[in-house]
Amino acid sequence: MIKDITIGQYYKSDSVLHRCDPRTKLVLTIAFIVVIFICKNFYAIGLMALLTIVSMLISSVPVKMFFKSMKPIFPLVLLTAILNVFYTTGGNVLVSFWKITITDKAVFTALFIALRIFCLIIISSLLTYTTTPTVLTDGIEKLLKPLDFILKPFNFRVHTLAMMMTLALRFIPTLIEEIDKIMNAQKARGADLESGGIMQRAKALIPIIIPLFVSSFRRAYELAFAMDCRCYTGGDGRTRMKKMKFSLSDLWVFLVFIIVCAGIIFLNIKFVAVI
Amino acid sequence: MNVLSVKGLTHVYGQGTSSEAVALNNCSFDIEKGELVAIIGHTGSGKSTLIQHFNGLLKPSKGQILLNGKDINENKQTVVESRFKVGLCFQYPEYQLFEETVRRDIAFGPKNMKLSEEEINRRVLKCIEYVGLDESYLEKSPFDLSGGEKRRVAIAGVMAMEPEILVLDEPTAGLDPQGRDTVFELIKEYRRKTGSTVIIVSHSMEDVARLATKALVMNKGEVAMYGTIDEVYSRADELVTMGLNVPQITRIFMELKKAGLPINGNIYTVEQGVEEIIRLQKEGYSL
Amino acid sequence: MAEEFIKFENVSFRYENAEDEPELPLALKNVNLTVNKGELVAVLGHNGSGKSTLAKLTNAILVPESGKVSVMGMDTSDENLKYDIRRKVGMVFQNPDNQIVATIVEDDVAFGPENLGVHPDEIRKRVDESLRAVEMYEMRLAEPHNLSGGQKQRVAIAGILAMQTDGIVFDEPTAMLDPRGRQAVMDTILKINKEQGKTVMFITHFMDEAVQADRVVVINNGEIMTDGTPKEVFSDVDKLRKVGLDVPQARELQCRLEQNGIKLNGNILFEDECIKAIKELF
Repeated sequence: MIKDITIGQYYKSDSVLHRCDPRTKLVLTIAFIVVIFICKNFYAIGLMALLTIVSMLISSVPVKMFFKSMKPIFPLVLLTAILNVFYTTGGNVLVSFWKITITDKAVFTALFIALRIFCLIIISSLLTYTTTPTVLTDGIEKLLKPLDFILKPFNFRVHTLAMMMTLALRFIPTLIEEIDKIMNAQKARGADLESGGIMQRAKALIPIIIPLFVSSFRRAYELAFAMDCRCYTGGDGRTRMKKMKFSLSDLWVFLVFIIVCAGIIFLNIKFVAVI
Repeated sequence: MNVLSVKGLTHVYGQGTSSEAVALNNCSFDIEKGELVAIIGHTGSGKSTLIQHFNGLLKPSKGQILLNGKDINENKQTVVESRFKVGLCFQYPEYQLFEETVRRDIAFGPKNMKLSEEEINRRVLKCIEYVGLDESYLEKSPFDLSGGEKRRVAIAGVMAMEPEILVLDEPTAGLDPQGRDTVFELIKEYRRKTGSTVIIVSHSMEDVARLATKALVMNKGEVAMYGTIDEVYSRADELVTMGLNVPQITRIFMELKKAGLPINGNIYTVEQGVEEIIRLQKEGYSL
Repeated sequence: MAEEFIKFENVSFRYENAEDEPELPLALKNVNLTVNKGELVAVLGHNGSGKSTLAKLTNAILVPESGKVSVMGMDTSDENLKYDIRRKVGMVFQNPDNQIVATIVEDDVAFGPENLGVHPDEIRKRVDESLRAVEMYEMRLAEPHNLSGGQKQRVAIAGILAMQTDGIVFDEPTAMLDPRGRQAVMDTILKINKEQGKTVMFITHFMDEAVQADRVVVINNGEIMTDGTPKEVFSDVDKLRKVGLDVPQARELQCRLEQNGIKLNGNILFEDECIKAIKELF
């Protein structure tokens, strides 16, 4: 049923990663992306892959959910790998036919890039699997807070952006339900939404889109009043019920990451670069 | 003659998933041509799921819907036909208005039926009259109308398909007493003029008593009662246990009966109550 | 001596017309009304009678064209007092969906106190208390879109309770709800007036809700038609009918019987009174 939709892909559980502060997770995810791009050889990236797998396992999110999120990206990874195999030059020739030569370096590069992309997908999915969209929004707001300094002259705040995100998250399910209702009402008047060419289908959407817009504007108008009545005047002078606090989990996760980083630097220096 | 027959209708949402929920369980009943049937039940009793089967918007998990003896889900063509033969008007229908003028909005259904220009025009004029608005409304934007007027235009849009059965889900929700009375009056008029079968979904037992010829009570996805208003209201005690409110006047006379007054039948309108008290006075009854 | 809470003095109000259209008629004409501290007042009227306008004037969403509206002595037309007034009078609206801001029930209840800059520990306390008062504590971690209309409306009420306003104005809080939701919301409204002593003004077109108030104000064509206890207001059946309002069936029965020469004793409004009076006949 349409009511069951959930926004984002949060997986409810109580692992170390779930307990971490959203800011920790955001910062470390970004750091992970940076570090994986400075890995120069298979030992280094192997360590990152190990970190990825360990994180995946301690998150207590079922492994098959990660496969699900990788599925749509898979063709892209395959394509990149193939292109790399054909276009990378240098190294020892493995096979050569017609105009194409494949070298061992090309195969290594392809493998390396594929591995990198998989790690990236898993780690970023991990962020959304272990953090609810609301908490994530709060985390982003806190992290970007220093930007207010730049935004202030333009009469814009990071808080405004975060509020917009929260409201969007709040109203997406409501609007999906509404679209469903309007579609049924128009179908009951014989609207045909399923057949015809692209133009015809686009035209058939008008009876859905106009009522949806009308009601969204009405909602926005009423919501603005309701927020004003609850003394909302923007981010200044506001307090928050839920305080974000760094806990022992955050400390652990940070320490592990720093050790891994040290390992990467060591491995990068110690072994020959392949990329 | 039965215009609509529901046979062993079961509907399960999310079949085969972890959130499986039985919304309708083995419902069977027949509706005769020309009746005004009220479907009663509180939220979650399966009313809305039930009516969306009448025009093929939902497919039965089990069972059949027969329209004039023919299964509406036989093939694609019969489903499309059922959309026009059973005119379904949802709750808060004013939220479906989208055209620039009232005329074009009412014409949306007939246009989808691929009728001729003249026929569409004839129907638009007739239906605006059915809902008690004059022709000057036709060129207005539906978004400039008052709440009650919008509601009536939306109902006209469904009537314009000239369905054999008109189904209205809570047609008076959110309206004030005046708006409610206007809508009920126009439904009565429509039925008198066209002789169509009408089904309304309601949770107001007062309104049902005033309007309907028959009542169908839904409870937990099953047909709990189906009969004339008199038959259904005679089981007021059961209705109360299903979380339905019987009219205040019915409750008063139920209490009086318990106290020993020889009340005849069931009282569900104030008029009946007045007559009954007058009768008892004339007979010189005393407690 | 009763303490004045909201006071309307000769208030008239008109909505702004679109640029190329003529001036709209007055939505409220010369309204005088005083709501005292602790009162439970129902404002009854049909759609377009001006009752919602009346509600919106109480906490400076709208300001009068002429006359004066004041809340505990604060003039609503003084822009500087706007948020001070809203700390005193909260408002709950008709559509339960369009007043919930957060994606989790308890976060929504916290929204008001957060805006007021209340200390986090104090907010937590208020949120829990408010959710208990409306019997939604068990659902505090639920997502609003999974709640019923009546539940959402109770969350909205909790959101105002957490702001600890002295009074709450309800603008047709039950118009979009089913009978069960309506009942639950009405029970909550009565409870916060009786148990927490909050001043309550609620707008409705349902007479069965208005009879539960201490005082009923009937509004028609932007003017106050009657103002009194439910018994007084509902005694004139014809007058109410004329302005498109319902009366309780018990009261109507009494009236109709009287027209037929049968007199029921007392000023009947509720079932038990009616039953007692009829028994006296026999």
